[in-house]
Amino acid sequence: MAFETSDKKTFIQTKQRDKVFGYHDIEGFQAEIGEYRMRTERTGPFYRYIRENGDKIEKDISVEKGRFIINPVEPVNTPKNVTNFLQIKFRKPFLAEPKSSVDVYATFPVEIAVFIAAKKSVGIVDIFSLQKPKYTLYGNPRDGIICRYWESDLYSEIPRLDRYREGVIKLRIVNSDTEWIEVKNAVFDIYGMKIYYNDEIVYSSASINIISPKVAETKFIEQPLEEKMRKALELYTARRIAVTALKFVMEWGL
Amino acid sequence: MIDVLNYKLYGDVTVYDVAVVVFVMAFATIIAKIVTTNLRRALIDKMRRDQLELMLKIIYFGIIIIAFIAVLPALGLNLSGLLVAGGITGIILGFASQSVVSNLVSGIFLLWEKPIKIGDQISIDGVMGFVEDVNVLSTIIRTYDGLYVRIPNEKLFTSNITNYVAHIARRFEYVIGIRYSDDAEKAIKIIKKLIEEHPFVLKNPEPQVFVDNLGESSVNIIVRVWAPSTEWYSVKMEMLWKIKTELEKNGIEIPFPQRVVWFANELRANVSKEEGRQT
Repeated sequence: MAFETSDKKTFIQTKQRDKVFGYHDIEGFQAEIGEYRMRTERTGPFYRYIRENGDKIEKDISVEKGRFIINPVEPVNTPKNVTNFLQIKFRKPFLAEPKSSVDVYATFPVEIAVFIAAKKSVGIVDIFSLQKPKYTLYGNPRDGIICRYWESDLYSEIPRLDRYREGVIKLRIVNSDTEWIEVKNAVFDIYGMKIYYNDEIVYSSASINIISPKVAETKFIEQPLEEKMRKALELYTARRIAVTALKFVMEWGL
Repeated sequence: MIDVLNYKLYGDVTVYDVAVVVFVMAFATIIAKIVTTNLRRALIDKMRRDQLELMLKIIYFGIIIIAFIAVLPALGLNLSGLLVAGGITGIILGFASQSVVSNLVSGIFLLWEKPIKIGDQISIDGVMGFVEDVNVLSTIIRTYDGLYVRIPNEKLFTSNITNYVAHIARRFEYVIGIRYSDDAEKAIKIIKKLIEEHPFVLKNPEPQVFVDNLGESSVNIIVRVWAPSTEWYSVKMEMLWKIKTELEKNGIEIPFPQRVVWFANELRANVSKEEGRQT
């Protein structure tokens, strides 16, 4: 099993973009990520949030004193939310040894959310992404699910990526079966996804527990790469009643 | 006043008992309304609308039925007697109101079988639109042009129902005709690129683009793509125009119907020198 090495990916880092993730004062706010430019203007009693990338999006925000929080969020929101599942398709299939456990790294698309925080409450202002979104069907049209589609290589060590475009997800692949099993993709329920970030990387962690050659159980793990990483605000936590387990059973093939 | 309240209507049941029953039932109805209204507000963005409506109906009628059972003794009725009487009454009522009972039973089966749910887009006996509500006696449809249509559940139950969004994804297709002189492979490549770029044209099931037949006036390319059921109509509208403009940008045209006519005898034509005049 040959893994891609980290130096094969271009690591883009400019000083200007270093500190976009995190807290920003609403007064005089200005930031730039890729082709996206964001700023605020004072318009009477409101602040006007403006985001441009050829198109222009404007929102009036009624706030006396507040701060923006910009951080990566679960990648199922652009161009609109139609699902809460993410499928990571491996460019090269992974052959898992019987009764084994191995950690590999894959990538996931980064979507960026702008939150407004005031009076101990947080609201969403904007979500965008530097990645072109694509969706797919996992399973059949009757019982299957729509998923955000993403292709990734598997890496043996943490790849260095443009954190505004791609995040790194550690996958613990556990083969509980007694056979060699080929894994071509992983599907996750985005509820429960924990995203962490620092000045260099956007990071998440998950496990794939292979139960049989056609069935696996996936779930996100709450585990940052290092202690000092910031935890991103999540969109998919309290919006619906948490009666469903945070595990997802891949029953339509690996 | 007290005498009036103690006035016996039948058996031991007094006016006071009936007043208590009316008050309790009114109170139960108000409580049921308050509970369901607050639950709707609290859960509207946390549950699927059809499940929420079903749950609210169960809670609403549950409260009223519990209150009714609780006040029955005040009316001098006991449940065992009522069951026997109810059985006989049920038979009488069943014959008397056959269509109502039929609709009710159909409604219960529909709620159980769930071929449709609130918010679905369906077609039934030529009526197409959104399901607004599924009641025990009838189902309410809002047609695409905004009309209110009430369909009795009995009719719904015995009709062919087409639910456009019952499955998570659906396929649609276009037939794109290009000129015989155009490069079909290039056209296919352009169409595939457009398909790949659209977020809601699903990666899997894989889209199909191929030359289907050689028509009278054009080479016909079939484009078959899958999209999420919630998005398919907007994708369908968007993609066709994109394909047309992109093909034209690349010099590939969609031809008008044409026919080559051969004359058995040589056709003589005289072209006069006068501008624009032909014979």
